[in-house]
Amino acid sequence: MSALTDVVSVLARALTDRPDEVRVVESQHKGTTLVELYLAPGELGKVIGKQGRTAAALRTLAATAGEKEGKTVTLEFRDTPYKG
Amino acid sequence: MPDTTQPIVDFLVQFTAALGIKATVGVEQTANGPRLNIAGEEAELLVRHRGEPLKALQHVVDMAYGRSLPDDQRVFVDALEYRKGKDVELTQMAKLIAEKVKQSGVDQQLGPLNPYERRLVHIAVAEVPGVTTESIGDAFSKTVHISLRK
Repeated sequence: MSALTDVVSVLARALTDRPDEVRVVESQHKGTTLVELYLAPGELGKVIGKQGRTAAALRTLAATAGEKEGKTVTLEFRDTPYKG
Repeated sequence: MPDTTQPIVDFLVQFTAALGIKATVGVEQTANGPRLNIAGEEAELLVRHRGEPLKALQHVVDMAYGRSLPDDQRVFVDALEYRKGKDVELTQMAKLIAEKVKQSGVDQQLGPLNPYERRLVHIAVAEVPGVTTESIGDAFSKTVHISLRK
């Protein structure tokens, strides 16, 4: 696990009521790092928040973690079960 | 330490560990709630970009733990006392502007400010007699209008 996935995972676990179902997957795409955050169905609202404010906060902190590792980060939220 | 504070401290310790920075979390209990300060040289990462990461962390803490505290309390998350310094600065600025309004009679505006910052301004200006404040705007950030009390 990289610092990036660790950070996203710690934040998401604090926000959701179902922390055991949090999965974070990192992949590389043309110079940017894609981080996919998988949550239990129905938990998406907790990480998005009113006016997407929580989602914006998570993207800021993911960027901070990426900054430390020299990565440009895109964070996406998924409420489908993680397959793979 | 009240048992509502410990989970938040644990969360911040986990967060800094995940980020891979060497840091300690200091706790100070105030009447308005716990003030948590992340200390350590590498905590500088959180105050870059005008403290945006710190603001984001405050929001996540509010969302995750805000409800676990008594109604009149709020968690305050800081790093290297960055926000504490900013708060002192903003409070002084607000008082200075209020004095100016009082002397000149000309209205002044401060902002845009977020709700927390506006609260500080309202409280600071309330200490200056004869001057009143009002928040103007309908977005998350609003401007505080400072004028003579009619």
